[in-house]
Amino acid sequence: MRYLWFGSYSLALLLSACSSPANRQAGDPIRIRWARDPETLDPLVQPNQNTVEAINLLHLGLLQLNFQTSEYDPALAEALPAVQLLGDSLTQLDYHLRAAATWDDGHPVLATDVNFTLKLLNCPGLPSEGVRSQFGFIQQLQLDPTDPRHFKLVCQGQAPEYPWESGDFPILPEATLDPTHSLRQFSLASLQQAAKTPPTVLLAFAKRYQTLSQGYYPNRVPGCGPYRLAGWQPNRSLTFERKATWWADRLRPAPLVLQAHPKIIKYVILPDDGAAMLALRRHELDVYPAMQARAFQRLKALPFAQQELAFYSSASYDLLYAGFNTRRPTLRDKLTRQALSCLFDPAGLLAGTQLGQGQRTVGLLPPSSPFYNDSLPLPTYDPACAAQLLRRAGWQLVAGGWRRPPAQRLVLSLRYRANDETFETVALQFRAAAAKLDIPVELRPTEATTLNHTLHAGDFDVFVRILKGSPSGFNFAPILHSRAVREGNFVGYTSPTTDSLLEAIVAAGPPARKRQLLRKFQVLLREESPLLPLFFMSYRLAADRHLSHLLPSGLKPGYSAAAIISSDGLPAAPH
Amino acid sequence: MGFWWVFTRLGRALLTAWGIASAIFLTVHLLPASADEFTLGEPNELGSAASLRTSASRQAAQQALRHRLGLDEPVFYLTRTTGPPVRWQWHGRHNQYHHWLSLLLHGNLGYSYRTSQPVAALLGAALVYTTPLMALASTLATGLAIWLALGLVNSPTAPRRWQTVVRTLLTGIQALPLFSLSLALLLLLANRDLLNVLPADGMGADYPPLGSMAWVVSYGTHLVLPLLSLVLAVLPQLTLPLEAALRQELRADYASTARAKGLTSWQVAYRHALPNALLPLLTTFTGLLPTMVAGTVVVEVLFALPGMGRLLAGAAATHDYPLVIASVLLTAAARMLALLLADILYFWTDPRLRPS
Amino acid sequence: MSVRWPAVFFTKVPHQLALGWLALVVLAGLAGPALPLPYPPTTPDLLHIAAPPAWSGPGPLHYLGTDPTGRDVLAELLFGARQLLLLSLPAAVAATLLGALAGGAAGFWGNRGLAVPWAAVPATIAAAWWVAELPQRLILALSLFAISILLLKSNRWLSWRYSASASKATLFFPLDSLVLGSATLLSAVPRLVLVMALAAGPPLGTGGLLVLLLLVAWPDAARLVRAQMLRVRTQPFVEAARAAGLPAGRIWWRHALPHACRPLWAFAPLNVAGLIGLESTLAFLGIGLAPTASSWGRLLSTLPQEPTAWWLVAGPGLALLFTLLALQHLASWLSAKQHAEQLGPN
Repeated sequence: MRYLWFGSYSLALLLSACSSPANRQAGDPIRIRWARDPETLDPLVQPNQNTVEAINLLHLGLLQLNFQTSEYDPALAEALPAVQLLGDSLTQLDYHLRAAATWDDGHPVLATDVNFTLKLLNCPGLPSEGVRSQFGFIQQLQLDPTDPRHFKLVCQGQAPEYPWESGDFPILPEATLDPTHSLRQFSLASLQQAAKTPPTVLLAFAKRYQTLSQGYYPNRVPGCGPYRLAGWQPNRSLTFERKATWWADRLRPAPLVLQAHPKIIKYVILPDDGAAMLALRRHELDVYPAMQARAFQRLKALPFAQQELAFYSSASYDLLYAGFNTRRPTLRDKLTRQALSCLFDPAGLLAGTQLGQGQRTVGLLPPSSPFYNDSLPLPTYDPACAAQLLRRAGWQLVAGGWRRPPAQRLVLSLRYRANDETFETVALQFRAAAAKLDIPVELRPTEATTLNHTLHAGDFDVFVRILKGSPSGFNFAPILHSRAVREGNFVGYTSPTTDSLLEAIVAAGPPARKRQLLRKFQVLLREESPLLPLFFMSYRLAADRHLSHLLPSGLKPGYSAAAIISSDGLPAAPH
Repeated sequence: MGFWWVFTRLGRALLTAWGIASAIFLTVHLLPASADEFTLGEPNELGSAASLRTSASRQAAQQALRHRLGLDEPVFYLTRTTGPPVRWQWHGRHNQYHHWLSLLLHGNLGYSYRTSQPVAALLGAALVYTTPLMALASTLATGLAIWLALGLVNSPTAPRRWQTVVRTLLTGIQALPLFSLSLALLLLLANRDLLNVLPADGMGADYPPLGSMAWVVSYGTHLVLPLLSLVLAVLPQLTLPLEAALRQELRADYASTARAKGLTSWQVAYRHALPNALLPLLTTFTGLLPTMVAGTVVVEVLFALPGMGRLLAGAAATHDYPLVIASVLLTAAARMLALLLADILYFWTDPRLRPS
Repeated sequence: MSVRWPAVFFTKVPHQLALGWLALVVLAGLAGPALPLPYPPTTPDLLHIAAPPAWSGPGPLHYLGTDPTGRDVLAELLFGARQLLLLSLPAAVAATLLGALAGGAAGFWGNRGLAVPWAAVPATIAAAWWVAELPQRLILALSLFAISILLLKSNRWLSWRYSASASKATLFFPLDSLVLGSATLLSAVPRLVLVMALAAGPPLGTGGLLVLLLLVAWPDAARLVRAQMLRVRTQPFVEAARAAGLPAGRIWWRHALPHACRPLWAFAPLNVAGLIGLESTLAFLGIGLAPTASSWGRLLSTLPQEPTAWWLVAGPGLALLFTLLALQHLASWLSAKQHAEQLGPN
């Protein structure tokens, strides 16, 4: 039996040695690594980021994010919508669809399709609760009887983000999903009411939609995007094939968001980072996005890497920060919070966990932002200052810790997501620094699902987490406004001054006024210190040297698959 | 013993599996963190989309989601209110447990919360990858363990050097967690710097056409690394107790009688001591059977195999309860059946133990 | 000629090595806090995250390297020995003992061995009703207790009047099904579901973690001992003891159980390794040991974050290997000694 075993093993070795990995050939698919399966390709259910990426290849919305400029560019729409404020509570957005836009069967994309898509979002019985609340601000769509491609959206409220938020959804074909036009009889408002017992027509429609099973057979509902799903092996790989004739190919000049160069894009699902790294080195993978800092450095240092791979690093909008529970009596005053902020070591943590790839900041804005307040000093590790601030706040150092009359003791519990070495390093550093000052800190690594729950419940003193930002994100109300206390305002910070400042920032139009308000906001944040921003993280990408025009950026997913140009045999453009 | 005994034991096994699944059902549905958080997204992202969701619309979305998933009904037939006075309330048939049970009795394992796909289809797709690999690994491991244990015990006069080495190696493998073992194999055999002989990912992205010789070869080479790590991981806990039991048996009187009859030490060990030594360890060996449906998360994640372990890990992380409960049911049933098989084998081989 | 343990097994050197290593581990565990270490444990050195071992250079050195959060491996090893002594070893021993008792009892008495009087049934129902605070608990409890007392009295009267029918007024307690069922329940629950359930509660202290490890690890030992007990109880010496009139409990404890526990000698050291792995998995997933406790398992489990850091596996892996070898040596020596004692009087 032992000979059989050895024999088969040597045979396997021999046979596999014959099939050694080869370099890229012209016409090979572009293989991109994903860490998890998209689970479903239904535009109504978007469980994770990979689904969003896949849907952006299959479908188009009115507007599409331009990865080069970090702004929204018109895709199905001809131009950005014309904004008109109606009264003091409504906004009207005026859209014109492109004349060249058609579905695969040649029929044009019309305003009725947009109308249908909006009603589909609000149809009861469909798993669209998430996106429904995202587009709940659109109250009505007014069709133009003279121009089938012209329509107006009426939105509730007057937020400045409406123009680009309204266009970020894939438009679905009415002819395929609703050939009998059964949704036309219902107005958008009536669907948004969410009646207790929906009419049978709607239930029948929902049932029909479910049986179509668009999530797993997206080719049954072809979108107007550049790609078609060629194959999907669940949890292993997805293959997208460029449509031979796509309506946007005829556009001159071709806008960046409507360019799709690769013939075949293949997403390979490799959940383990180490295995993905090995695959990249063996040329079984072409693009490896979202690399860890240490792995990135290690790969760059290898001798062959510089000839075969290209490395990209861009600043992202994800901020690592620590928050203090302002509802707790020990942390209610700002001096204590400022003192505790001095015990974090942002410079050391950035150097240690991210190998220096990242940006330190004084507030919630990245240093590259034009509204960054550079007159404020960066937060540093200063235990002497911390002790002094604690004394000023009324704490007294006695044997066994800090006490404040009448009966407060400075004992902290720090929560962070478990199973993540960055958070763990931050937590341990804070604990070691606090231990030097005789402040006991209890570390509570919490599983991801429970963490949100405990943060909502306020069951912590300090937490460390990552805040996902956006390039035009100047609306900090979700994390600091008193209205959001039960929602995203985990620190529980309520202050009328801050509330009005946040609202003014959102409403401010001219950049000069905005800069003034944002500077004031950053100073206020530093004073009050309900949270301490540590640093902005970087986004790293490694790709085969023959690929260019990846448009690496800090926006998810960090590259643009449709824009990749493969120049096999030719030297790639320097990044 | 006979058909009736097996039948009652089978019935009892399935009932226990159902009981375990019910206990898990009640536990997960009474947990505070809920499934809606993952569908509706995090509230405090700074993207403008999130800011546009008011608290009211978010509440409405949460209500709608809970209604669609059936989470707004009571969990069980009875609920107990805490606080004075403690009261019990009867809910009749409109509770989540009853719906789950009635679906189960019709053969329907439910639908996933995240994607509304039937759970049975998801489990089936994952089992296609897990079961052949684990079955092969279990068979190889069993055969190898028996062969190694016989080899380690076969020392007529003085222990050979290689026996001590192998024993130390096995203990070393036991000391390493499975991840380290698999990673070591991967870095050793699929690494450009060292031996670059085997592919890095478990199933490969580009496959030759199904059914051809090239497909068989490709499938085989892709399976070598996961198979190797699985076999090595489970080998020590099978071999070492078996070796100790064999040593025990070889000290007994019947063994000396057999040797006195003139049999070689190999024959004594293989024909006489092994069946006796194997019996108490039957449960350890049949314990490999449930892994055929449970899979191993570590190996599946490392080698990118879409198996049951990964499926369950993902479901537990996102609180996809129907999937979790269905896989617990499957695993518990497999475990009970493995125990039943061990008992049947036990009673079949040793007539003294049959229940009279 | 029967096979003896080879004589070379008992020469001084391996014996001394095994005991010496175990003594070293115990000493490191007890004296850890007093040793002058270059770096304290659980304190990240932000300048040397995942640094390889350094034996020459300026300043205090990381002789065995650091882990991906910056903790010094040498300090973690020394303080991890402490964790081993306080948690993993006691948990392994307790789990093996509990498993042996439960499995031995289940194998010996089976489903029909233990007889429980009928009167116990209404009494248990009354107790459960009372605890669960179901409606009308007072009246129901009192009436059920009255019924059970009545049954006891009638049982005694029946056995006085008709001695043969005394055995009919009893119920068989399904011990085997109970033990097997709970063992299966604990091992059928996937670890992740366990984590989900536990993560919702308060954090575990060392005592809580000990109980948790105990609950998770006892089924294996129980199944092993139960299987062996099924063979042992049919042996002639057990029948002889029964014929001699010894009570069942005494037979089980003094005669059957020691024989049934023989496979445990080889199994117990493996159990230690399994428990260390389990405890590190639990810590990995956010419950169990606080990150401020050092443990060998935790060091081993940080490998996925830095796959090329061989020093993370070398240090704790070798320490664990030596400990396991020493425990195995000890276990086989003790087992051989026990066997020699059994052969002694012959």
